[in-house]
Amino acid sequence: MHVKGLMFDPYNNAYIVVLRDEEHADMLPIWVGKSEAGAISMSLENVTPPRPMTHDFMKSFLDAYNAKVISVVITDLSEHTYFAKVHLMYEDSEYTVDARPSDAIALALRSNAPVFANNSVIAKQNSEELDQWLENLKPEDFGKLDS
Amino acid sequence: MSIADLPKEQDLVEYKVDRILEEANTDTKIVVLARQDDALDTFPIWVGAAEGNAIKLAHDTMITPRPMSHDLVKSFAEHLNITIQRVVIADVKSSTYYAMVHVSNKGLERTIDARPSDAISLALRAPCPIYITQDVLKRRSTTNLDAWLAKLDSKNIGTPEVQET
Repeated sequence: MHVKGLMFDPYNNAYIVVLRDEEHADMLPIWVGKSEAGAISMSLENVTPPRPMTHDFMKSFLDAYNAKVISVVITDLSEHTYFAKVHLMYEDSEYTVDARPSDAIALALRSNAPVFANNSVIAKQNSEELDQWLENLKPEDFGKLDS
Repeated sequence: MSIADLPKEQDLVEYKVDRILEEANTDTKIVVLARQDDALDTFPIWVGAAEGNAIKLAHDTMITPRPMSHDLVKSFAEHLNITIQRVVIADVKSSTYYAMVHVSNKGLERTIDARPSDAISLALRAPCPIYITQDVLKRRSTTNLDAWLAKLDSKNIGTPEVQET
């Protein structure tokens, strides 16, 4: 999946990271908090902050011992919570670490690592999250992106 | 002082997180460090709201349903067998503090540059001690504190500007 961008969700006062699979035209919106969105947006816009932000530090931490992020996978969606795994390679062994998707994506962008989503998540999301979000949207929510 | 037990680190003074103060009018929090040996000295560090929350969660030993960013760093350390030894607030330049996170793995020591907020957040979770160098203690930044106190003066003294949380 490619990280296509970030949207503001006025109804939930949160941000949505939009992942997209160009081949299959699948979309996966993932709701994240404000500071998590900030961490992702800095990478998308190639902003280098004067001091390392949390995920820059996270990457330095792994770099210190030559551990590499191979990929991150959005593995599950359960009761409106997305689950992710970070796959690491360190000294010829692979490690899988549980993470929030926002951390996983922010780290993947800094490590040039691919982001994947399980098909089951995409299927579940199509039925579950987006419909509910769209149902909750009121007409007056449109045009308030600057709020 | 207890630090004398560590011969190579005689210029480090151990601090602990005492409390996290909320600034009502700005998007910042103040992490107040206090000397571990109970000598009366506090060391305030201004951090962003999100960074302050990350420290507060660990300070209050709150368990979150999902791992927060610094829990993930700790989890990386556990998976890769990296020991988080200590964090040191090692420098101050133009009112900005610089921290180093000291880690080791199979006897191989590394230091990682970090913002104090990330270093402290990780130290509380590791857990590992937090040190401030004598040099930083001497040159500690009073700019923020002065500005903050000046702001206090201009306000109604009857209204508490800072609430302990």
